[in-house]
Amino acid sequence: MAEAKGMNLSLKIWRQAGPQAPGSFLEHQAKGVTPDMSFLEMLDVVNEELIRSGKQPVEFDHDCREGICGACSMVINGNPHGPQQATTTCQLHMRHFKDGDAIVIEPFRARAFPIVKDLVVDRSAFDRIQGAGGYISANTGAAQDANAILVGKKESDRAFASATCIGCGACVAACKNASAALFVSAKLSHLALLPQGQVEREERVVNMVAQMDAERFGACTNTGACSASCPVEISLENIARMNRDYAKASLKRR
Amino acid sequence: MAQVSSKLSANSPTGPIETRWEKHKFNMKLVNPANKRKHTILVVGTGLAGASAAASLAELGYKVKAFCIHDSPRRAHSIAAQGGINAAKNYSNDGDSVYRLFYDTVKGGDFRSRESNVYRLAQLSTAIIDHSVALGVPFAREYGGLLDNRSFGGAQVSRTFYARGQTGQQLLLGAYSSMMRQVSKGGVELLPRREMLDLVQVNGTARGITVRNLVTGEIESHAGDAVVLATGGYGHVYYLSTNAMNSNATAAWRCHRRGAYFANPCFTQIHPTCIPRSGHYQSKLTLMSESLRNDGRVWVPKEKGDKRKPQEIPESERDYYLERIYPSFGNLVPRDVASRQAKFRVDEGRGVGQTGEAVYLDFADSIKRLGKDLVVEKYGNLFDMYEKITGENPYEWPMRIYPAVHYTMGGLWVDYNLMSTIPGLHVLGEANFSDHGANRLGASALMQGLADGYFVIPYTLGNYIAANPLPKVETSHAAFQASKEEVAQRLKKLLNINGSKTVDEIHKQLGDVMWQRVGMSRTAAGLKTAIDKIRVLRQQFWTEVKVTGENNFKNSELEKAGRVADFLELGELMAQDALIREESCGGHFREEFQTPDNEAKRNDEAFSHVTGWEFAGTADKANWNEFREPLNFEYVHPSQRSYK
Amino acid sequence: MQGLGSSGKCGSCGWIGSSIGRKQLIGITGVGLSLFVLIHMLENMLILVGARPYNEYTHFLTSNPLIYLAEGGLLAIFLLHVIFALAISWTNCKARDSRYAVASNGPKGTSMVQRSLWAQGLLILVFLILHLISFKYGAEYSVDYGPGPIRDMHKLVVEVFHQPAYVVWYVVALIVLGFHLSHGVGSSFQTVGLHHPRYQKCIRALSVSYALIVALGFITEPLYVYFIHRG
Repeated sequence: MAEAKGMNLSLKIWRQAGPQAPGSFLEHQAKGVTPDMSFLEMLDVVNEELIRSGKQPVEFDHDCREGICGACSMVINGNPHGPQQATTTCQLHMRHFKDGDAIVIEPFRARAFPIVKDLVVDRSAFDRIQGAGGYISANTGAAQDANAILVGKKESDRAFASATCIGCGACVAACKNASAALFVSAKLSHLALLPQGQVEREERVVNMVAQMDAERFGACTNTGACSASCPVEISLENIARMNRDYAKASLKRR
Repeated sequence: MAQVSSKLSANSPTGPIETRWEKHKFNMKLVNPANKRKHTILVVGTGLAGASAAASLAELGYKVKAFCIHDSPRRAHSIAAQGGINAAKNYSNDGDSVYRLFYDTVKGGDFRSRESNVYRLAQLSTAIIDHSVALGVPFAREYGGLLDNRSFGGAQVSRTFYARGQTGQQLLLGAYSSMMRQVSKGGVELLPRREMLDLVQVNGTARGITVRNLVTGEIESHAGDAVVLATGGYGHVYYLSTNAMNSNATAAWRCHRRGAYFANPCFTQIHPTCIPRSGHYQSKLTLMSESLRNDGRVWVPKEKGDKRKPQEIPESERDYYLERIYPSFGNLVPRDVASRQAKFRVDEGRGVGQTGEAVYLDFADSIKRLGKDLVVEKYGNLFDMYEKITGENPYEWPMRIYPAVHYTMGGLWVDYNLMSTIPGLHVLGEANFSDHGANRLGASALMQGLADGYFVIPYTLGNYIAANPLPKVETSHAAFQASKEEVAQRLKKLLNINGSKTVDEIHKQLGDVMWQRVGMSRTAAGLKTAIDKIRVLRQQFWTEVKVTGENNFKNSELEKAGRVADFLELGELMAQDALIREESCGGHFREEFQTPDNEAKRNDEAFSHVTGWEFAGTADKANWNEFREPLNFEYVHPSQRSYK
Repeated sequence: MQGLGSSGKCGSCGWIGSSIGRKQLIGITGVGLSLFVLIHMLENMLILVGARPYNEYTHFLTSNPLIYLAEGGLLAIFLLHVIFALAISWTNCKARDSRYAVASNGPKGTSMVQRSLWAQGLLILVFLILHLISFKYGAEYSVDYGPGPIRDMHKLVVEVFHQPAYVVWYVVALIVLGFHLSHGVGSSFQTVGLHHPRYQKCIRALSVSYALIVALGFITEPLYVYFIHRG
């Protein structure tokens, strides 16, 4: 239950005016933080204070605040989306912190995710990877009856589990190599596990991996930090499937 | 006095309702395939409606420019829809049909929607499922590999397709993947982090938009042959809602100010089972599936201001008010009834929790009756979500719930072709007012957004382009320059007020006025007060708000300020609309107009029409003219509902 | 940030130019090297049997003409492993252009072993070079068990492993090799695409026990010589 008085926290937040500007940490105080606040609501309160005192508020990406849009994207005390597993920053609540805590807040850091401002980064590389093959080429209007394709419940559930990726980029942020393997393999697996995805399966993996490399993400060292940091717990099995499909497709390619 | 406007001509085809869309499609003009690439379509918004429209139009060969305010089109708030999508497939063999879905939708909308549109929606519903499956949307399946269906939102048939509790996400990712395919093929040019701040008209037709680049602050002009607006609803006018933080009405409102009529703004849907707010800092309300009411019991203490722990309140001192008032439906009364009753309890001072703005939803009996394991299996993920947010274990404490604004049925007025009162400006999805009437059925929002984008606009937009001479327009045209100048001036003005109140502070005050007086229960006096208060707030905003930073780099405060400025006008219009609609229907409940059983009492003689508002103010002053589009019911005849 | 109209594609690089292809090459060559070190370790165990079998086996190996082919192959595998690992480490390093102020920790963290694979590799490389200088190209003692003089490797080994500093260095290097294998063996399964929820624990256990066996086996030799076999 919420305490009336609340906690005081000292925050060290990465501030950077623009993509080319130099960045540095600035100290901010969060006062009267209650345990029921979400982490972003705590930042809202800090920002309100900053605005009142005529200073620039901290920029951060956020939108749905219910853990599904994938917009929120910060690294809290070294961990993407903070210390809790299977949680996005917007669903992280202040009851996991205590009075007097010092919290370091940084943007997702990766060469492929250039900083836009403060904690906001540009994740359009993910969109380009998706565009390179993360789809089934079916034009509107051409489909047959939905039940004409049978998909076993187990296969469908597994495809769904891969398809739940919210595209937040925490996997890249967590990886020591800033690898996008988990994101890319989740999309590949979603489509590779469904009968509809088979026709373009080989071409898809080759093209998406090529785009992933062109975006300058690092390679996968199989440390598992990505999956541990993933708000929707995408499995490492997806990466193995991508590796397997990639080898097969590359060897067969004409 | 309001009048019927020739501008509000629905252009619905006539004849038997089953054949209207077929007939209409045949009568529409076609664009030569080789000419399609010569036409540029500007699609604003990349949710279900926008992404599906952008993809489908590009597949046909049009040049599409797609704009979104997010860093990626996939973030659009369609992603958060949980429940499912309706389609009249009748896979369950339980008597569903296109006609029944049509019938249920017209009735569910409390007879305030257009029959032709609704019938078309029901017809197209099945094709959406076919196409989504082809795109790889992983809908829930039966063990034999066929698609699974469930019954949703009190429907008598199982026609809802779903992907666990993430149907919106999966459908959006399907549409997004199609759009990204077109992006890589060059058919769609994607412009993320762009906010539309004005509509540009040349010779009375929509020919372009003015957008702000949210990263650099640059004001850009984009010209095209038509504009497709798919920018979602306006629930965020209440500040606290289940909408996303960036959901806004600005693009639609800017079009409204340029001449697009706004229809039925007072029709808002309130969802009864949301997690209540815990303090003044609250930014967002989270919805929990309505299915919880199947097994949970709703109650409040009988005594006012009873501060005991729920477990310490004996059965005899609890008021299971829904079961008491509605003995046959009990906890399963429709959304609006459950919501209003919760509000009444809170207004009586019998609300629970720290804020007193909540009622209990108790599973203790279900856990006893079904066993904890079964409850975990059915509701485990919802309970986990509740615990994550509130820190309370719902297996031991009853959950606290309260209604929250969830969806807006009103929006820019469109005809059967989804075109607004401005030629060339088409409006899709939640941003338009069209198909849900005064209340939307559960699992119908996704259906409408995708029907509009995949299957309606590709035809009707072609007809518009083929039927109208559209001479080439460049962004160097004076109209674009004037619009750019106006937008820049407004941004400058916002930055120069330099008062002492934050944007959120005023937005929260607006939200409070809206929620208290233009929320789930409205009175003439309350609405008049709301209008006065909103006007004061608007005045305050333009003299006392403080927007930090400059119009360069990313500036969220500036973005929010522009949106709240528009909400401050829209809020007033919602109150005006609610005030003149002297009846209760669907999501609009006027306390003066209810049956002795506290049911909504429609007035079909006086209000069987769509209200279309024309903006008649100036840059600084909001004012409106009221027009009407009469509604005719040839197939589904208005009747009164009862849940006693 | 401009529109996403066109996307640069690395079309012609092919498998070996891709991050995944390179990782797979590193994984496959790593498996080859892992097998080699296991066999090498078992051979070293002959020291526990006695000087004669040790020397005779060494002679058998080095006098076989196929040894040149085997050595050439091994060298090639080794070079591929090292060169591609260095190349990919460099790419990985560049993929993050600014460092975090606080390292990840808790369940989301990455272990020291995983973060230092490249350093482990470099240390093993240095060890290997010194190892070849000490032994393969070390002092040529000889011994004659009857058929003629052969190289007395045993004498050299005993001599070298009586230097405490060398023993410490050797042990440290092999512990590092152990860590390298404990990650690498399991990781190579994942890299070539072998992953199944049912067998993941087995693969992990295999990886750790393989590393333990190899490292402990190797370490046995200097410790045995230094503490027990005082010559």
